[in-house]
Amino acid sequence: MNGAIKQLDNRIEIVTPENIEFTYRVAGPFRRLGAYLLDNLLCWVFIIVIYIITLLVFGVLQSLGTVSLLAAVAHFFTTWFYGGVFESLWNGQTLGKRMFGLRVLSDDGQPINGIQAIGRNFLRHADTLPWAYWTIEESLIPLSTLQLGLLFMFVYGNYQRLGDWAAGTMVVLDEPQQLYGVARVTEPAALQLATQLPVNLVVNRSLGRALSAYVQRRLRVPVARRFEMASHLGEALRERYNLPANTNYDLLLCAVYHRAFIASATEVLDDVVGERSKGVKE
Amino acid sequence: MKVVELLESRLQNWRELEQLCVQMEQHRKRAAGAPAVGRFATLYRAACADLALADAYQLPPNTVQYLHQLVGRAHNQLYLSRKFAYKRWLYELLHLVPQRLFHDNCVRLAFCLFYGVFIASMLAAWLSPAFADLVVGKEGLQQVEEMHADSVGGTDFNSAQAGTGFYLNHNATIGLRCFVFGILLGVGGIYETIFNALYLGSMFGFMITSKSGPNFFQFVTAHGPFELTAIVLGAAAGMKLGFSIIDTRGYTRTASLRRAFREAVPAAVTAVILFGLAGLIEACLSPSTAPYAVKAGVAVLCCGVLIFYFVALGYPRGGQTNAV
Repeated sequence: MNGAIKQLDNRIEIVTPENIEFTYRVAGPFRRLGAYLLDNLLCWVFIIVIYIITLLVFGVLQSLGTVSLLAAVAHFFTTWFYGGVFESLWNGQTLGKRMFGLRVLSDDGQPINGIQAIGRNFLRHADTLPWAYWTIEESLIPLSTLQLGLLFMFVYGNYQRLGDWAAGTMVVLDEPQQLYGVARVTEPAALQLATQLPVNLVVNRSLGRALSAYVQRRLRVPVARRFEMASHLGEALRERYNLPANTNYDLLLCAVYHRAFIASATEVLDDVVGERSKGVKE
Repeated sequence: MKVVELLESRLQNWRELEQLCVQMEQHRKRAAGAPAVGRFATLYRAACADLALADAYQLPPNTVQYLHQLVGRAHNQLYLSRKFAYKRWLYELLHLVPQRLFHDNCVRLAFCLFYGVFIASMLAAWLSPAFADLVVGKEGLQQVEEMHADSVGGTDFNSAQAGTGFYLNHNATIGLRCFVFGILLGVGGIYETIFNALYLGSMFGFMITSKSGPNFFQFVTAHGPFELTAIVLGAAAGMKLGFSIIDTRGYTRTASLRRAFREAVPAAVTAVILFGLAGLIEACLSPSTAPYAVKAGVAVLCCGVLIFYFVALGYPRGGQTNAV
């Protein structure tokens, strides 16, 4: 987003025609390998099913040659057109990509067209080079090592293989994500500390980002490390708000976060008073 | 307004957009109806606005991440890939491709390379059977001889059809491999073209003197023009890709390759269509007992179609210059 430091990971920024910038995560080779293997498996299942169906139909007619002919045609079309046809009709997805939450897009974020879909899938055969040969009873079985595609993915940006480079496409992660909502602070000591903060407390954007990132993750960090991390910002905040020297920095960050994101000063006070009276009754 | 209140007020809209995305992904746009599509557009715009203002609203990082994903998902449904635009493809294949190929030096190079090596190796194999042994191998030649001993009008129509299936798959794969390996700076495509021309030429040369020769030539006559032209076309399209990386004509390498790609893929698709037509003839006419005159007539007709396609449709008209 504006002013934010660009992340050093596999996120790519896309600007929509509505002039909104959003990010996609580009899929790496291992995620794509799963979809590739699944698609290959499905192709072979399809060929075998076609073979069995034609065998049942034409086998009765004693026409085994037709069975071989149709199986060969099915083999040709699945090998060369499976990916291209599916990606054109399913908005950049094959069955394998759909199951692995992947989608092919143009590298400007727009959907791919038929030429891109067919071309990138034709060129996948170059990405599978070099081939190793496995000998079974004097016949050579070619096995693709995928080395060229893999090499290209690491050398060229956005994990694009040779076919992606030529077609101007990329594969992104396209899977639903959970919305976890706003992290809540429940420690009474932090809520108590929040009442000691100024009534007119306002945090700027970068501080707000740092606080929410910290509070969301703090419970996954060991206590000692948590205090160490919190001390960098906590010390400055303690001085700013004239708090005692023995203030717990971890709780201070939680208190500032609570006041900035969750509740106003009066709400915090009401909560603390409510908690106390509940404790007295008990 | 505190962030928590803001999120509560937006949450319902985001969840609704998420649901609509799921519906659209499952191809239920028509079932959803116009009001739902209209609602989807409204919610998408609202989510875009929320994302644009996420920084100002100080939304937590995981919420921003969720919004990125939600907007991306909705964006993918709003801007779907343009299906197969049949009219556009027809215009591309019948108008633009022949005009491009007419001027294309890669087609000329692939044509000369393929037919030059093909004819030379055919002559070499005809004059010296040892040459065919060296290129194809004794077993390969024996297999071809056995297959064509009974390939035309034979009693074993099943074997002929099985053979047709094998060669259809094999030859179309050769053509597409010539295209695909062309991207390796053109060298891969040239290697594949020469190798296949050498192999096929040696086989043709060997079959001239073989006892199965008459059957073989009767078998290949009808579908040969389409099949061999398709190999040349596939090789030319591949070379165009490979050479565009070397000779960029002032573009960046990426821009030059993508420019060539947009023109080479339709040419490769044309090659596939030619393979399909050749396969149809190979399955129906080539192994049949039809007189040789009929098969030769079909071959002449195929050549006429090719000339019409490459020359009549490809000849520049109205001062158009499609040189690339």
